[in-house]
Amino acid sequence: MIARQRTHLTAAGLVGPATLYVGIGILLPLAILFRYSLNQFVPGKFMVDALTVENYVKFFTDIYYYSVLTRTVRIALITTLICLVTGFPLAYVLARTRSRHKNLLIMLVVLPLFVGNAVRAAGWMVAFGNKGVINASLMGIGALSQPLEIMFTEAAVIVGITAVNLPFMVLTLQSVIEGIDRSVEEAAFNLGATPPQMARRILLPLAMPGVLAGTILTFILSMNAYATPVLLGGPRFQMMGPLVYNQFIQQNNWPFGGAIAFILMAATLLLTLAANLMVQQRYRTAET
Amino acid sequence: MARLELIDLSKRYGEHAAVAGVTLDVADGEFLVLLGPSGCGKTTTLRMIAGLVEPSDGRTQIGGTDVTYLPPWRRNTGMVFQSYALFPHMTVAENVAFGLEMRKLAKAEIEVRAREALRLVRLEAFAGRLPRQLSGGQQQRVALARALAIRPDVLLLDEPLSNLDAKLREEVRIEIRELQGQLGLTTIMVTHDQEEALTVADRLVVMAEGEIRQIGSQRDLYERPADRFVAGFVGRSTFLDGRVTGPGEFETAGGLQLKCRDGAPGAAALVLRPERLHLGGANMDNRVPGKVEFVSYLGPVLELHVRLSPADRVLVQLPNRGDAAPAVGDEIELTWHRDAGMVFAE
Repeated sequence: MIARQRTHLTAAGLVGPATLYVGIGILLPLAILFRYSLNQFVPGKFMVDALTVENYVKFFTDIYYYSVLTRTVRIALITTLICLVTGFPLAYVLARTRSRHKNLLIMLVVLPLFVGNAVRAAGWMVAFGNKGVINASLMGIGALSQPLEIMFTEAAVIVGITAVNLPFMVLTLQSVIEGIDRSVEEAAFNLGATPPQMARRILLPLAMPGVLAGTILTFILSMNAYATPVLLGGPRFQMMGPLVYNQFIQQNNWPFGGAIAFILMAATLLLTLAANLMVQQRYRTAET
Repeated sequence: MARLELIDLSKRYGEHAAVAGVTLDVADGEFLVLLGPSGCGKTTTLRMIAGLVEPSDGRTQIGGTDVTYLPPWRRNTGMVFQSYALFPHMTVAENVAFGLEMRKLAKAEIEVRAREALRLVRLEAFAGRLPRQLSGGQQQRVALARALAIRPDVLLLDEPLSNLDAKLREEVRIEIRELQGQLGLTTIMVTHDQEEALTVADRLVVMAEGEIRQIGSQRDLYERPADRFVAGFVGRSTFLDGRVTGPGEFETAGGLQLKCRDGAPGAAALVLRPERLHLGGANMDNRVPGKVEFVSYLGPVLELHVRLSPADRVLVQLPNRGDAAPAVGDEIELTWHRDAGMVFAE
């Protein structure tokens, strides 16, 4: 009995601090924020206590705000897809390499994370500008007569967010692929599977937990991107993250900001859940 | 089912030669075992036959066709991996059907052949299970059925029994041998376990340091080992250092004068099999007094370590006939035929 009690105490000790932190630091402010989102905003008086859904109605009935949401989802889907398609082969090579320099290669993948988002976006600005590296080079060799409009476009934002998220995808996939027995792939080849057949029938289903985790991670990061869309998208390009910030800080409209924050969260959660269900229906790996 | 020829097959990793010029001719339907310590190149050889490792040199022919540079999926070899390598997300039936699907057979035929393969290994009842719901021995048989289902030209077994416990290993070993004979499959098995090798093989190949040291029957390897390595690797033996002093004459480092098989004069090792040494037998060429230093009781046999001189100690196996066994400290006389003493030059 005493021994059992002690293990209970140990477990509480291990789980406690993080739980407390999440409870006080995240859930409580969220609850308060949700309450705010049901308040009214009266110009000049800021927030007025109320119990109304008008902030939510406003978001979905105003085409401007609604289009910010669809744009955000679109960019998040595109960047996540690019991360998955380009990250998978890279993760596979990293997982399977027997090179002595494997740790160095992994460091190279992680290296971009050492640079903050804002600093990196500033770097892309140097590259993308009308007189930036890309345009200057292309015009220098005579490939272009007019500079390409890259800066302040959706394309620039997609490139920027992809660059931020790719390491997360690669690292997640790499650790899962490493856990797949190499001889299982060899067995497939031995039984007559070509590399594409092996990838589709064996590798991908077995890597599915990693694909899911990586996709969810990068999707959430994309949905909530802030620095990259602000710096590379410019003042007229809006995504949900910057929009929330604007409402709180520039418009001082806390109720509407709170509502947008919750819509962003709900959209992210719903889409993630939907993807999860779809994948689980197609592959049976999740049951392990 | 086909003849398999390896011609001067080599694999080098940088400076290191994992396999250095292996030449082998395996007859149609033959069961050949590659035997050797870990790192001797036997698994690399097997993987080159399967096409999973590309050789640096030499050729591989299956059924008279050169397959040296064919990718694994275009050869018709069936491999059973040491870890079984079953597809964990597929049922037993799906695992066995995989190779048939890759061959684009009709659905009905796939089903028939997959069921037949499962019947061969007596696992029809488990068709719907996932690999992780099976015991080690059952997984091993699924791996075998999966390799058999494609009707391979050559069956390749990579240490197929090493993950099974001793009792099961013996059963499966016999089962594999029976199936192989019944189907007339050309089979190459890799193992480091001599007993396993001895019970299943038509012919054995002993490898060391990437080279073939000897090819032969069980009896050849045991009674006429080609070199010191084979003598030490196959069966148990005592090595006595010394020199050959004349035809059939050997002097140990400890000064014993012994009769043995003929060997080139000079520094050599005398190799004695433990069961060829007797206690006080008649008409023997060698009679040497000694002192028992260690006794282990193994059931059917007793093992003695007997000191013959300060520098020479031999291992002796005596059949356990139930009479009073020698004890530690006993003075005894060991006898053996000159034929029991094999000599290998240093």
